[in-house]
Amino acid sequence: MYREQGGYAQLERAFKELTPKDVADICMGSNLRGRGGAGFPTGRKWSFLPNNGHPRYLVCNCDEAEPGTFKDHMLLEQTPHAIIEGILIGAYAVGCHHAFIYIRGEFKAGFAIFRAAVEAARAAGYVGKNLFGTGFDLELTVHRGAGAYICGEETGLLNSLEGKRGEPRLKPPFPAVKGLYGEPTVVNNVETLAYLPHILRNGAEWFAKVGPERSPGYKVVSISGHVKNPGNYEVPLGTTIRQLIWDCAGGLRDGRTLLGVQPGGGSSACLFEEHLDLPYDFESISKAGSMLGSGAMVVFDDTTNFVKAAHALIRFYAHESCGQCTPCREGGNWLEKTLVRILEGRGLHSDVDMLVSASHQLTGLNLCPLGDSIEPFLASVVKRFEAQFRAYIREPKAAPVAV
Amino acid sequence: MAHGPAATALAAADWDPYIAREGNFFDALFRRLRPECDALIAQYEESRSALLPMAHLFQEHEGYLSQNAIVAIAFLLGLTPAVVESTVSFYTLFFRKPVGKYMLSVCRNLSCIINGAEEIMTYFRDSLGIGHLETTADGVFSYEEAECLAACDQAPCMQVNLEFVYKLTKPDIDAMLAAMRAGTYAVAPLVQTAPPERTWKVAQDTGRKSAGGRGVTDPNNAGGIGDKSGVIMLDRLMADPAFAARSRERVLHEKNLGPTNGDAGH
Ligand SMILES: Cc1cc2nc3c(=O)[nH]c(=O)nc-3n(C[C@H](O)[C@H](O)[C@H](O)COP(=O)(O)O)c2cc1C
Ligand code: SF4
Ligand code: FES
Repeated sequence: MYREQGGYAQLERAFKELTPKDVADICMGSNLRGRGGAGFPTGRKWSFLPNNGHPRYLVCNCDEAEPGTFKDHMLLEQTPHAIIEGILIGAYAVGCHHAFIYIRGEFKAGFAIFRAAVEAARAAGYVGKNLFGTGFDLELTVHRGAGAYICGEETGLLNSLEGKRGEPRLKPPFPAVKGLYGEPTVVNNVETLAYLPHILRNGAEWFAKVGPERSPGYKVVSISGHVKNPGNYEVPLGTTIRQLIWDCAGGLRDGRTLLGVQPGGGSSACLFEEHLDLPYDFESISKAGSMLGSGAMVVFDDTTNFVKAAHALIRFYAHESCGQCTPCREGGNWLEKTLVRILEGRGLHSDVDMLVSASHQLTGLNLCPLGDSIEPFLASVVKRFEAQFRAYIREPKAAPVAV
Repeated sequence: MAHGPAATALAAADWDPYIAREGNFFDALFRRLRPECDALIAQYEESRSALLPMAHLFQEHEGYLSQNAIVAIAFLLGLTPAVVESTVSFYTLFFRKPVGKYMLSVCRNLSCIINGAEEIMTYFRDSLGIGHLETTADGVFSYEEAECLAACDQAPCMQVNLEFVYKLTKPDIDAMLAAMRAGTYAVAPLVQTAPPERTWKVAQDTGRKSAGGRGVTDPNNAGGIGDKSGVIMLDRLMADPAFAARSRERVLHEKNLGPTNGDAGH
C-alpha cells in the first residue's frame, strides 16, 4: 500500500543513485529543522559526526511525552512505513549500519504496529544485509521504553537504550561525538525523519521555499484544549496562530473568548490574544518570549482555571524530574507543594510572588532542559492572571499575632 | 477506606492452580522465556540494552516483576540483581509488586485537566473506593493518575492495560467497570500470578525519584556529591530580601489559620 503511493522509491533512489553526501547535502539545503523540540538544523547536526572510523548510530526519538504533543503517536500508528523510510534514508546519509527507534512504553499498540511494519520492510529487502545490491548493511532495532518523560531527552534516551536509568548525561560531549555505546550518534525526532522521503522526492528547494527563510517547511501541529476540532494539522511554518486555531481547529467553542495559547508543549510560556497574529515559526515564537518546541498548541478559553492548569504542569515536572540536579528535583516539588497549598486555601499572598521568584531561581542551574522548563508557563500565567491566583488566598480570621 | 486487611484479599489457595501449572519458576517460566531473552540480547551491540525489553517480557508473563525475574535478568545480563532493580525502579511501567487485572491509568495532565479530567478522576476514585496508586481488595482494579498520554485531542482520556480509551464520560466508566467485573471487557486482563497488595509501589512517596547522589553512576553524571547547583540556588534565595520576610509571614499565617487536617503537600 505504502509502496503503491511511491513509498520506498526515494530510499531505493538514494541507495542506487545518490551518495550519502548527496543525501546529507539535500537535507542541509532544505534547512530542515528538528521537530523534536530544540529546532536544531538537521543537516548541521549530521555534519558534527567526526570522521574517526568508529561505528555510527542513528536513533529515532519516538518517546513523545511532552504535554500537549500527540503527533508522533499518530505517525507511529498510521504511517509506520514513512518513519521507517525516513530512518533508513537518514542512516544511509550518516553512514550508520545499525539504527534504532525508541518508542514510548505507553504506545503498546504502536510498538506492535511498528514492529510488524519493520518485518514487512525486511521481507521486502529494505532492511538487512547488502541492500539494493550496494553492499550496504543496515539493521533497524525497535526498542520500547517503560514510562519516563526524561527518556525523551536525547542523552537520557541513550542511557535508557543502553539498559540504564534514563538520567541525562552532562554535555559536552554531545551524542554526535560520544553517544550510544560511546560512539558517534545522531538522535532525531520521528517527524524530522519522516520528512526526509518527501524532501528527497521534491528536492531541497521545494522545502526551503515554504514559509519563512530561517524556519522553512511544513510542520505537524497538535492542537488541543478548548477548540471545536482538536487534532493534528500539517501546515507550512509561518501560518499565524489565529489561522491555526480558527481555520484548522474550528475555533473556540460557541460563546467563549480566548484567554491564552500555549504554543509549543508544556515547556513553553503562554501567549495571549495580542499574539494571535504571530506567524507560527521558530523565530517569531521565540521573539515573543515563548518557543515553538514540539509544535503542541493548547488553547485556553475563559473557563480556564489557570491555577489548576499551572498545578497540572508543575506536578508533571516534579514527577518526571530524574532527580540528578538539586534545583530541578527540589524546586519542582517545592513549587508543586506551594500550588497545592494555594489550591487548598492555605496559601499566602506572598506565595503567589514566590511562585514567580522561586521558579526563576531554579532556572539555568540544571543538567538538562527539563529543569529549565518549569518556569516559563508558570511565570507567564501568574503574571497575566494574578487575580485568579490571589482569589484562592483566604484572609486569616484573627489579627496576626506577634512573634 | 474500602480496603480491608489482607484477609479480604484472595486466599493463597486461589493461586495454587498457577503454581501447579507453572511449577518452580526456574524450571518453567525461565526455561520457556530463555530463547526469547537470547533473541532480545542478540539485537544489541551490548547485552545490557536488552534489560528493558526483558523486563517487559517477564512482566507480561508474571503480571509484575518478581524477585525471581530480577535475578533471572541479572543472571542473563551478567549484572547484579541490585543493578537490575535500581534500573527498573526508574520506570513507572514496571511493577515490583503484583497489580490488579486492569490497570486504569487516567491522564491528569494539562489538556485533560482543562477538559474535565478532574471530575473523571473523582468519579473513578468514588466508584472504586480507592485512590491514586492503589488496588481494590478483590484484586480486579488498580488505579493511577498518569501524565500526558499523547492523545490530548481525545481528552479526557485514559489507558486500560496500555490500550487507549478516549473522550471519557461517566456512563462510559460505569459500563467499563461493569464489563471488567463481569470479565467481558474488550481489553484482556493482565496475568495475575500472585495476590496484589494495597499498592504496587515500593515506596508510597513517588514525588521523589532519587535523592541527589543516589542516582549517580559515573563521574560524567553531575548532580551528585560535590554538585554546587543547590548551593547556588540557596544563595540566590538568601540574597532575595523578600525571602526572610516571607518565611516569617508563613509562620504567622499557619498560626492564625489554626490546626489543619494534615500536611500542606501530599
Ligand atoms: C525533557 C525533554 C524531553 C524531550 N522529549 C522529546 C521527545 O519526546 N521526543 C523528541 O523527539 N524529542 C524530545 N526532546 C528533544 C531531544 O532531546 C532532542 O533534541 C530531539 O530528539 C532531537 O531531534 P530533532 O533534532 O529531530 O528535533 C526532549 C528534550 C527534553 C529536554
Ligand atoms: S534538570 Fe531535572 S530532569 Fe534534567 S538532569 Fe537535572 S534533575 Fe534530571
Ligand atoms: S494531557 Fe491528557 S493526553 Fe495529553
